[in-house]
Amino acid sequence: MDLLTVLSKVELFDGITPYELEAVAKICHQRSYQVGDSIITQGDHGDDLYVICDGFVEVLHSETPSDPSPRAIVNLGQGQIVGEMALVDRGPRSATVRAISEKTIVQVIEREDFEKLCDENYHLGYIVMRNIAADLSFKLRHQHLTNQ
Amino acid sequence: MPASYKVSYVIQERNHPGAILNIDHRPLVGDRVVLGEQEFTVLEVIDLIPPRGDFHYLHVTLRRAEA
Repeated sequence: MDLLTVLSKVELFDGITPYELEAVAKICHQRSYQVGDSIITQGDHGDDLYVICDGFVEVLHSETPSDPSPRAIVNLGQGQIVGEMALVDRGPRSATVRAISEKTIVQVIEREDFEKLCDENYHLGYIVMRNIAADLSFKLRHQHLTNQ
Repeated sequence: MPASYKVSYVIQERNHPGAILNIDHRPLVGDRVVLGEQEFTVLEVIDLIPPRGDFHYLHVTLRRAEA
């Protein structure tokens, strides 16, 4: 499946034009991970947003830096995004993200490239930021349902 | 573009963090679902929020499939 087809199925880009999707594709970099590989480490500084195109990741949260048994918060699969909190608020990574399936494939978008694109095209910027907000809302709803 | 379903899977036994992923069909009660290495059975499917564009947002309750 080509990159444009993959990205067109990702909710983050729902509502942008085909021309805008091509612009997004130009700033994506593909990375692959094996089972157990860390993609994001809690507490680190990070600028990248990750779109999961294939495979699964688990999101883990530690209560303290030396916590020996971090708590699994959620598993995320195809079409989901991780790293969006640090992209939006520039804070340290709020959780660790680890690949849990063989050949987990992600598309990486660097903050600088992303912000430049949003500054150049307000429509694209509005739609993608709205979709990030909707994604955070959905994750929160999932947490509420999981903790009931 | 055909419909996409963004699904919040919650495991009934609560010993699994659940999962969120996009699929291309609406799951039905009784369906088998594989999350990672584990297989589950669909117990309940609810529209979590109204659809937007081509995306539908579902809450699906699962229980571990019997071997």
